[in-house]
Amino acid sequence: MAKKSNTPMYLVALTLFLGGLGYLLYSGLGENTAYFLNVSEALAMQPKELSKARLFGTVAEDGIDRPADAMGVSFTLLDKDQAAKTIRVDFKGVVPDTFKPGVEVIVEGGVNPASGTFAASTLMTKCPSKYQKENRG
Amino acid sequence: MHVTAYFALLAAMIICLAGAAAALFALWRNDYGRLAMIEKGHLLASACVVLSSVILTVALWKRDFSFVYVAEYTDTLLPLFYALTAFWAGQAGSLLFWMLTLALFGVFFAVSPAYRSLSAPTRHAYWLFFLVVEAFFLLLLTGPSNPFLEAVPPVPEGRGLNPLLRNPGMIFHPPLLFMGYAGFAIPACLALAGWLTGERASFAAAARNTAILSWIFLTAGIILGGWWSYMELGWGGYWAWDPVENASLIPWLVSTAFIHTAIVERRTKALAKTNVALAVVTFVTCILGTYLVRSGVVESLHAFGEGGVGGPLLLFMLFTLVVLAATLLAGAPFFADRVKPLSGLMSVPGFLVILAWLMLALSAVVFLGTLWPVISKLWSANPVGLDAGFYNRVCLPLFALVTALVAFCPLMSWSEGVRDKAGLGLTVGAFVGGGAILYGLGIHLPVALFAGAASIAAMATVAYVFVRQRHARSRAGALGAYSVHLGLALVTLGVAFSGPYQLNQEAVLTPGKTMEIGGFKLTFKDLEFEENKAVAISRAVIDVTRDGKPVGVLAPERRIYTGFEQPFAEVSTIPSLGDEVYATLVSATEKKAASLKISVNPLINWIWIGGTLMCLAPFASLRRLRRKGE
Repeated sequence: MAKKSNTPMYLVALTLFLGGLGYLLYSGLGENTAYFLNVSEALAMQPKELSKARLFGTVAEDGIDRPADAMGVSFTLLDKDQAAKTIRVDFKGVVPDTFKPGVEVIVEGGVNPASGTFAASTLMTKCPSKYQKENRG
Repeated sequence: MHVTAYFALLAAMIICLAGAAAALFALWRNDYGRLAMIEKGHLLASACVVLSSVILTVALWKRDFSFVYVAEYTDTLLPLFYALTAFWAGQAGSLLFWMLTLALFGVFFAVSPAYRSLSAPTRHAYWLFFLVVEAFFLLLLTGPSNPFLEAVPPVPEGRGLNPLLRNPGMIFHPPLLFMGYAGFAIPACLALAGWLTGERASFAAAARNTAILSWIFLTAGIILGGWWSYMELGWGGYWAWDPVENASLIPWLVSTAFIHTAIVERRTKALAKTNVALAVVTFVTCILGTYLVRSGVVESLHAFGEGGVGGPLLLFMLFTLVVLAATLLAGAPFFADRVKPLSGLMSVPGFLVILAWLMLALSAVVFLGTLWPVISKLWSANPVGLDAGFYNRVCLPLFALVTALVAFCPLMSWSEGVRDKAGLGLTVGAFVGGGAILYGLGIHLPVALFAGAASIAAMATVAYVFVRQRHARSRAGALGAYSVHLGLALVTLGVAFSGPYQLNQEAVLTPGKTMEIGGFKLTFKDLEFEENKAVAISRAVIDVTRDGKPVGVLAPERRIYTGFEQPFAEVSTIPSLGDEVYATLVSATEKKAASLKISVNPLINWIWIGGTLMCLAPFASLRRLRRKGE
């Protein structure tokens, strides 16, 4: 076997590879990011910054507005810890059965700068499992 | 019984620590006379763990609600089968299951020819590392995550098993993952032991079967998890890039890299150090998986919640990495003159190294993506997360490249260049021709097109190799490997098409109304109700036709189980190897208005077919360790 070093070939390949990966990461980080926020954090930001966000909160008891036999719901989302901080959410789509006052939900979408409401494209209720809720103390 | 079980775990931990101390002492004094005692100690500790596991199983069987764990996860209505599987429904039980598997892997490995092929110092070093790992898990089980807490006062009825877990996919998904995680401890300990003592034979040979077996369990666990998510969660997909899913994918990616670089070492003696690092990192990522799930470090859809084990797991991972670095330094002098250089890039080893890069890059991307909400806090006041689009954009091209490597690698030579020119022609032809046909069929997305063409080429290569090369059929190792790659090609095909070409539609229908999706016409017939002691069911009956011909009937359900307020969706599908129609009943009203989520998933069943092949084929590759003529 010829005693030549194969290192340069590997370095060239690795550079190409990392370049491609870097480009993918760069474009992905540019377009596919969203703020992950609690309601209170969202309220502290400018509406125009929130064109893409994922909000975590609790569905308020009052103000659930839902057509009887059609899709969609609008409701008030409370901050998990500070119930005084609220935002109005508009969701178009099939509302899951698990949606009800008091449950923790995650909504994805963006704030409509004109009305200040959060237009949600997805509405997820938190997995109702009770894998382990204790030991938080 | 609680006390007996608890003390058995405590005794096991003390025995493991004593055994580790004895092994360390032997290594320090160069006196290897007490190996039999350490081996017997491990057997005894394992027996203690088995005893505790039996006590928990019996308690689950008898629904002994004086055990907090039993009361938390079962009730008297639960069928026996599901009650027993509640063993791993919660954190404490699943850690005990992990420990049990770890102990059994250890027992079986200690009687294997692979273990007997090791020198006495290496055996001692192996026990040192392995017993420390066991002691760590026993520490968790006797401290923050004790499955044998007694309910005071005793409760009359348990809370019942989460209905989501009452599904065959979910029964076997978690234990398979834990078996995979546990198994990878052995290659890691062997790697450290062999490097520390300068063992002549590479650990990669001794660790081969355990690594493959663990990989099988891990793969099967992931595939079953995807299938469960698709059939039970009812959101229309099988992979959401949720932190919990990513947690199991990272060890799979790193272990796949390790298994391939280990092949290079066994054949050419190159990459010895790389393999030690990869074996240990695989083990660390197995713990990382549990850490991500249990520590609450990232918000997930799955509310596993904090269980007090996050801190210890993090410390143990850091400790293991420090041990790895120290071992690599300490053992380096033994290997200075033994390392063989790697052959050129255009060779089988070269391709396997590129594969390892791809796998490690994928695992790094998934790791960073999962932790992005934590990392982004460094510069952003509010955490920034990544959606599924990020992973699809970054990871799918890399997976497509992996499939392309699988297509071309078997045609390369081990030293340099192409081994089989005719085969290369055929593979290139299949790649170009397959790509052209897919383009003609309307597949125009570049990544899906490339992945589809690569998987057709990979299938053509495997078929060619089976026909032309006798060793591919007759040698068990090769037969298993080529079949796994065939499975991978099928999975790639399924993923490339079911993701980007999935059709989704949501609608609220009343009886008699119809909707259309992807050439299918769906007629909502009626909403049926059914009730018994354990569950209340509402079921939508939907007739499906295509071009006027009946295709089948969909009957998605909503179920409300006794003891659980939340309703659960039972998905309904019309199974097909082409376009599969999938329906979820999202909600239903008294007036028989059903909210439905319908999707058409092209080629999705090839994922399960290819995935099954990927799990079964490696069994053919397991073999007895060959003794080298020494």
